Amino acid sequence: MPYPTDPAGIAGLWIAWLLMLMIYSYPLYKENPAFRFAEHTYVGLMLAIMLVRTTITTTIRMVGPPLMQGKVWYVIPIILGFMMFFLLTPKYRWISRYPIAILVGAGFGLGMRGVLIPDITNQVISTITPPVTGAGAVDWWNYIYIAIGTICAVMYFVLTWEHRGGMGYATRLGRWIIMIGLGAYFGNTVLFRMAMLSGRAQFFLQVLKIAPM
Amino acid sequence: MSEELTFWEKLARIDRRVFYWILFIGLMIPFIRPIMFPISISPSTRDLYEGIIEMVEPGDVVVMNIAFGVSAWPECMPAFAACTKLLIKEGAKIIFWGAYYDVDLSYEEVLRRCEDYFKDLKYGEDYVYLGYYPYQEAAVAQLASSIRSIFETDNYGTPLDEIPMMKNVDKATDIKLVLSGDTGDVCDYYIRQWRIPYGVPVAEIGIAMLGSSYMPFYKSGVLFGMSVGVRGGAELEKLIGEPGEATIRMGAINISHILVIIAVVLANIGYFASRGRRR
Amino acid sequence: MAEVLRREVVYLITAIVTILMFIEFFFIGTWNVAEELRTWATIIANISIALGAVRLLAEHAKNVQRRRAGVWPFSIWLWIIFLVTLLSGLAGYVIKQDAMTNPLYNWLFTWPYTSLGQTLYAITGFYIFSAAYRAFRARNIDAALLLIAGCFVILTNAPIGGVIWSGIPVIGRWFLDYGQVPGMRCFLIVAAFGMLAYGFRALLGRERGFYGEVAGE
Repeated sequence: MPYPTDPAGIAGLWIAWLLMLMIYSYPLYKENPAFRFAEHTYVGLMLAIMLVRTTITTTIRMVGPPLMQGKVWYVIPIILGFMMFFLLTPKYRWISRYPIAILVGAGFGLGMRGVLIPDITNQVISTITPPVTGAGAVDWWNYIYIAIGTICAVMYFVLTWEHRGGMGYATRLGRWIIMIGLGAYFGNTVLFRMAMLSGRAQFFLQVLKIAPM
Repeated sequence: MSEELTFWEKLARIDRRVFYWILFIGLMIPFIRPIMFPISISPSTRDLYEGIIEMVEPGDVVVMNIAFGVSAWPECMPAFAACTKLLIKEGAKIIFWGAYYDVDLSYEEVLRRCEDYFKDLKYGEDYVYLGYYPYQEAAVAQLASSIRSIFETDNYGTPLDEIPMMKNVDKATDIKLVLSGDTGDVCDYYIRQWRIPYGVPVAEIGIAMLGSSYMPFYKSGVLFGMSVGVRGGAELEKLIGEPGEATIRMGAINISHILVIIAVVLANIGYFASRGRRR
Repeated sequence: MAEVLRREVVYLITAIVTILMFIEFFFIGTWNVAEELRTWATIIANISIALGAVRLLAEHAKNVQRRRAGVWPFSIWLWIIFLVTLLSGLAGYVIKQDAMTNPLYNWLFTWPYTSLGQTLYAITGFYIFSAAYRAFRARNIDAALLLIAGCFVILTNAPIGGVIWSGIPVIGRWFLDYGQVPGMRCFLIVAAFGMLAYGFRALLGRERGFYGEVAGE
């Protein structure tokens, strides 16, 4: 965003900058009251914004129009939603099981029907489908690597039989394949973390007008 | 009798705060003195770019799902903005909605970054912002069956039936494709509830870690393209011919990644040197 | 009867909802019941988000009540900032159906919240750097493979890798496009089977952890 020119914006920018330094005083120096102040500020803001946006305004938007159209049964999910708050009382905690049952049922039903094709069928088909006619040696190497690697890696998680003998060799290869995957994941994690931190380093300079905003 | 520490052992005992300062200051250098190197385009980003160009015709309705918070702007926003610009160039009508409670800020940031593109567009005819929906698979599944069951109105209270571009749009089959910008598993929901049952093409614009998690989906053809973190954003900026924030940020990525490699290499040299000494 | 209401009826509801969602897949767009239940689940989830907030606020209220040393002034501040933000947001919503129209809410959202959110999310960048130095050792072949793959990917993601040696992006790209695929695919497949197994257990009423039951209850 451009460097603000209005007093509220400039004040907000500098307060944002100071709050950032308060947070980073913890790793760069040590835990201190300024860090805790900034931390509690974030938690308070986050809770309020979350409540305003989700529980209050979105719920009203979702149930208001149907209720006004005469669909009185929309009172039921509201009542069920508030029944969740019985989780906080030990004596009547069992009342919250009803809305939880609906959430769990919907979640599992959608999840179970959803994973069959993309997570299992498509992955197996993709693993066993050979390269097209005319593909080079590199394509065949990649195909064999992925096919054997996937099979061995899945075998590593099969705990019905002991990993000994032939199974032992296959599962060890599977473990190595998994390590390669985790290594690539780690490399991407570094990119993610450093991109986020570089954003903050850039912001530090932008507020001081050393870098353009 | 105390043994004198070796150079590597002394190095291992340096306060970690020294490393933090080195990193934080190192990250600032490229913003003062840019360090730019050519960026190659990865196959997944190229497929995303070309997929949008091939599939989207003028007038097609496309969903841009903002499932990342303000915290992930450095990673996701450049690619998201680049895709928005590309969709506008292709003449698509865009529905913005999101699964984070701070989606309003993210939407406004998209508008700001694509300001030049939006100035010729009309809200309600070329794009619409529906607002927040709960971060839940049930909500994504319900959006596929009926958008109006989750969004009776847009974010500003206008009934969807009064919005020109939403008149004949209510289900997944009315949508040409979905671009999901997310930091977690929302793209999984779109794959399971939009792509597989209704065949709506889905692509991911996500944080770098999702580049690993979703690679099997991309390789099996479930996702038609993927943008991986800020690197994907830089690649997309190059493809659309508008280098921006992600391209500048790659300078800081260069420095930070070199520092990490140096740290790993030094640590392992020290480990093997100490191990040899202990033997 | 009370026990049946507390247990069996709950498991039955879970099973019915799960089966309805599952069957609807084969009759997409025709089962209004499943669609209605999904809307209900969304509304319930929306309202129950407040549960976490209530719990956290209650904890901080207890800190203030008990005057926990070194903690209670911050808890008071948390409550103050929470109430100010909540009331200003609600005022904006009540008056103009959009919380962001309230200037104070807008300011709090745009400046402190955004900066703090990005800052806290980015703090792990420091820890991964110190972890790279202190923890990532090639102690055995497994760790060595992880490190080699990781280092090549790190240097591929940064354009400087190609400047150091032209082979780095080639090898790194192989790790990204092919090397990691079997491992990640394995996680997908195994997790999918786990979801199916777990879901069937929930369907049959044998997974009870969701309902707060402990073993032997």
